Amino acid sequence: MILGLRLPVALAALAAAVAAVVIAVFNWKGAPVTGQTFLVTTYIGLFLGALWAMYATGLVVVYTTTGVFNFAQGAIGVFAAFLYWELHVNRGWHSVLALVVVVGMFAPTLGVLLDIVIMRRLRTASLVVQLMVTVAIMVLLLSVVGDIWEADTARRVPYLFGIENGIDLGPSQLPWHRLIVFLVAVAIAVAMRYLLRRTRIGTAMRAVVDNRELAALNGARPNVVSSTSWALGSMLGALGGILIAPELGLDPATLNNVVIIAFAAAAFGALRNLPMAVVGAMLIGLLRAHTGAWLDFGPDYRFAHLAIAPLLLLFVVIALPQARLEVGRLAHNLRRHERFTKWWEGLIGCGVIILVAVALSGGWLDFGVWDPGAWGSRELNSANEAMALALIGLSLVPLIGWAGQINFAPLAFAGFGAFVYLKLAGDTGNGYWIPLVGLLCAPLGALVALPAARLRGLYLALMTMAFAQAMSLIFFPHSWVLPTIGVGRQFPHIEMFGVTFDDRRGFFLLIVSVFAVFVFGLVLLRRSRYGRRWMAVNDSQAASATLGIPVVWTKVVVYALSAAMAGIAGVFWATVSGNVDSVQGFDLLIGFNIVLLVAAAGVSIPVAGIFLIFIPLFTGLGHRLEDTGNVDFLVTLLDITTTYGPGMLVLGMVFNPRGAIFEMGRGFSPMLPWRGDARAEIAAENAQKREPEIGELGIERPFTPEEVVALDRRLGILDDVVPKEGYGAARS
Amino acid sequence: MKHFRWLICLLAVLALVAAACGGNDDDDSGAPAPVEAPGESAGDDMDEDMDDEDMDEDMGDDIEDDIDMDEDMGDGAMDDDMDDSDVGQADPEEPEVDPCEAVDLEATEVGITSDTITVLVMADVGSPLSPGLFQGSMDGINAWADHVNAEGGLACRQVEVVEHDSAINPTETTNGFLVACESAFALVGTTALFALDTVDLQTCPDAEGNEIGVPDFTYIATEPPHQCSVVTFATSRPNSECPYSGSGPRTVQSQVGHVQWIMDNINSDLRGLFLVPSDLPSTITSVMPQVRAMESAGVEFHSVPGISGFTTQSEFGAFIQIMRDNNSNFAYTGSDDQSMLKWRSEAEAQGLDADSIIWMCTLSCYTPGFLEAGDVVEGTYSWGWYLPFDEVEQNQELADFIEAIGTDFPPAWAAGAWAGGVLFEQIVNDIVAESGPNGLTRQAVLDQARSVTSFDVNGWWGPADYSTTQNIIPCFVLLQVQDGAFVRVHPEERGELACGAENVVESTRDWAAEFGG
Repeated sequence: MILGLRLPVALAALAAAVAAVVIAVFNWKGAPVTGQTFLVTTYIGLFLGALWAMYATGLVVVYTTTGVFNFAQGAIGVFAAFLYWELHVNRGWHSVLALVVVVGMFAPTLGVLLDIVIMRRLRTASLVVQLMVTVAIMVLLLSVVGDIWEADTARRVPYLFGIENGIDLGPSQLPWHRLIVFLVAVAIAVAMRYLLRRTRIGTAMRAVVDNRELAALNGARPNVVSSTSWALGSMLGALGGILIAPELGLDPATLNNVVIIAFAAAAFGALRNLPMAVVGAMLIGLLRAHTGAWLDFGPDYRFAHLAIAPLLLLFVVIALPQARLEVGRLAHNLRRHERFTKWWEGLIGCGVIILVAVALSGGWLDFGVWDPGAWGSRELNSANEAMALALIGLSLVPLIGWAGQINFAPLAFAGFGAFVYLKLAGDTGNGYWIPLVGLLCAPLGALVALPAARLRGLYLALMTMAFAQAMSLIFFPHSWVLPTIGVGRQFPHIEMFGVTFDDRRGFFLLIVSVFAVFVFGLVLLRRSRYGRRWMAVNDSQAASATLGIPVVWTKVVVYALSAAMAGIAGVFWATVSGNVDSVQGFDLLIGFNIVLLVAAAGVSIPVAGIFLIFIPLFTGLGHRLEDTGNVDFLVTLLDITTTYGPGMLVLGMVFNPRGAIFEMGRGFSPMLPWRGDARAEIAAENAQKREPEIGELGIERPFTPEEVVALDRRLGILDDVVPKEGYGAARS
Repeated sequence: MKHFRWLICLLAVLALVAAACGGNDDDDSGAPAPVEAPGESAGDDMDEDMDDEDMDEDMGDDIEDDIDMDEDMGDGAMDDDMDDSDVGQADPEEPEVDPCEAVDLEATEVGITSDTITVLVMADVGSPLSPGLFQGSMDGINAWADHVNAEGGLACRQVEVVEHDSAINPTETTNGFLVACESAFALVGTTALFALDTVDLQTCPDAEGNEIGVPDFTYIATEPPHQCSVVTFATSRPNSECPYSGSGPRTVQSQVGHVQWIMDNINSDLRGLFLVPSDLPSTITSVMPQVRAMESAGVEFHSVPGISGFTTQSEFGAFIQIMRDNNSNFAYTGSDDQSMLKWRSEAEAQGLDADSIIWMCTLSCYTPGFLEAGDVVEGTYSWGWYLPFDEVEQNQELADFIEAIGTDFPPAWAAGAWAGGVLFEQIVNDIVAESGPNGLTRQAVLDQARSVTSFDVNGWWGPADYSTTQNIIPCFVLLQVQDGAFVRVHPEERGELACGAENVVESTRDWAAEFGG
């Protein structure tokens, strides 16, 4: 132990400090360091920290009291800021009245609605589903904001307390607004800590997270408690959004991205420690303000100061103690009835995929207005992009779907693959380099896996998110990585087997074929020893370790495989684009959307990636309908479906956590003559639905289904007897 | 499965309705109206006047040459009593000959029928996070098309506009080029930020299968592949040398007339900060030449920091401190109006004496939203290369634009798109005058566009040479926010732009490397 820190953490902190000093020395701007400048920069940093602390406090409160890490916290703030603008600026309401309506009425209502409609159904859901659903809420809220308040109007939210007057600091001044915001942020953090630690409702909130049933037996009302938590979290998000909007301007994407800083701050407090979360926010604020004041990073590292938060998040998460193996519990999603696709089924399936692609792209099948064969270059271009994204999505199947390792950085791996290919093939388009790209991307995946092997669940998600953000801010914008070009294509058309795939239809067939090969490979892999190991590790690391499975090595291998697949997919993705935009092309939201759609389709199913093809299908249909004339209603409907569809589909995971393709497969498979097992499974399920009602057992007291489940569990009745969602859900 | 019934039902309903909706709304509105060839009104006289001018002569003078737009407009000069009915009226003594009736109109090219000319306007509009961003471009082209059609059409045909949303997305931008290639005669008024791949634009086959590309009368061209596209003619005039490899030194032109005027008339010792929008490499390389050009004119910059859309207002405090430490009197942003707004607001918050500083930005601050900020932006200078929107009585083209667009203070994107439309219109009219209405082909348009050595949007904009890719508009008008409105500062006369070769500075450097960070 050094200064109370464990040795590895202390060494990591020391290395980070040395790195920071070296970076500062080499990038020193040369501006004179005066006391005045230092003072002003410091208070600016503290003010920024206070704003981010408010978001972070909301995150910690919700996580501590519900166990859900709310990725939509920033989007709630964005919605509230726009609503506040609408009431105060656009409709002329007094600022206090608008604030009360938005923070005091709208935000808690939204929080309670989210809890009642969605979050309560996620209690027993896996972490992947929980995270995906909050990400879907984020996407939906931002879409709604975009639809209501279009970007063609300039909007500005005034400072709540004005910034013209303040405390005199020599030639400068500290505006009252900033001082008040700082004090309010600290006061809120103190109040929330007091609420959680010293009050009955706070104790109940924490108790409900730890053991909902037990808390209920002790008089707590879990539903009221969780609704209160969501209401509080939403209020803090709304207040944060309204206070930070004057600083950033009313732009949904910009405002929403602030939440990543709050993630870093919350992680600094291990997601549960409010004072440390506030300290983390202040630290990021100070680092950003002083970095801006004293350092110049040059054109290649121009986003370095923005990368402080993700880098800190990365550091904090890596420095966390190794996750303990969870023992003495039954895994939630044991695959007791998991059926492995037979190799010949996979072969037939992949053949069908290729045949359908050939038939459709060749225009051999006539579907009228639906007919992809009649599509022009535009639709094929979109289809190629969608297939490339589907290929990237496919890389998530073994990683998230089988091994349970959450990864929000598929685009970072894909971008790295594109970069490697650019350096290997140059401007030749030589496709024979592509397998080597996969091999070279695998070590990056393994590198990410090393810290990931120590982490579980949410921390893993945050780490990959921070990794993706750091790559998009530090690595990809470097002019050497993806140099801009003046003429032609950055990524030439692929040449293989003596063929140049410069025809979009030919490229479509190539990419579909690669997709089919990957799917077949995954089918085989799933049946292999490694595939089973990954699923075993996902079910129970403790049991896997007991059985002699090298857990860390297993994780490293699956990360390497996923990175290799994503890297190869990245080559196709970049080649479709021709020129990759080094900044916008790696936006975190794009990566989120890939993960979202694959998860909605069913991340454990290899063909799930192809779900992404629905985007260009819908968009293409919209174009066709537009071209055919007076069908505005349908175009609008398709537009709405394209905008909101993905988010709505992900929300569908609340009801079908294993995804749409999985559920469709369950419906379809009993029709296949050789799938007697599927028919038997359906029959068993139908029989299970005839479970006796509680009333039939002669128990008169009106127990709630949750209480019954809790009692059953306390009596030692196993999970496979007690429906996971409770009897009430089974009945419904 | 049951939970996905809604989706399946939705898909089924969509399929059924879509299949049932095979009809279209073809109407006969495309029937050509009797034409006096559009543009043969006030504007045409003016065009001819401008065409007659030799740009070299025009710009060669070292003496400042304030072009009086009224003079340039010749017979079309707008008087206060100007009336639309005065414009383009035929002499009642002469028998009217409708040139359109003399020929059988043919479908001479992709996007042209006997009744219609289809143009495509592409703009970044439908991004989920920034919907409506460049809607102004689409509005501008639709307004232009309505105006042209109301005046009889173009080349004896009606103009039809196809909109394509590039959605701030490179793939959708490429898709826009593909759609234009397949169905439009030309692209007009494009405002797409991510035109990274212009291969399809430049190699699109014409009706005869020759891969000559689609004429692209864009408003802005931000990326080198778009700037250097051989079929692109940007009305905002790219300032950079072509062809260009994408890295290394590049010769670039920059406008310094506005800052030179300030040094000559307000303060000869300008020293301060220049903020560079550093989110994209293209914005850095397009703004850094402006910095060096101002330095060559005598401005001293203490610092040239980069700013991002993610820069908070309080982070502008660092810039305020630099200004205070160095006793700065000049503050220029190459970014958008929001950056100037944050900068000035922070200066107020920090108690900086804003009156002692010359705050300045480009046309990007010339927005109604900027004025809505109130007192905090008072005194800010902005400069542009066309007559301000409130000078409708000085220029018929501007008057037509304001009337057609339906607002007194439209977005700059609309003005840029309209200018693209007028350029296209002029080129088509020239072809028609030379070869008749059946002489319209993409090749003819490209050839004609490459020979345009002076185009000034019928006197509304400063004149520019479109025969090379690197030739910025050598004119400016300096505006200042006074009492909550933009007021012209120089030239003082309404309807005038300050033009002259001395307004333009040219230099060659590796501009990305010039940026400090």
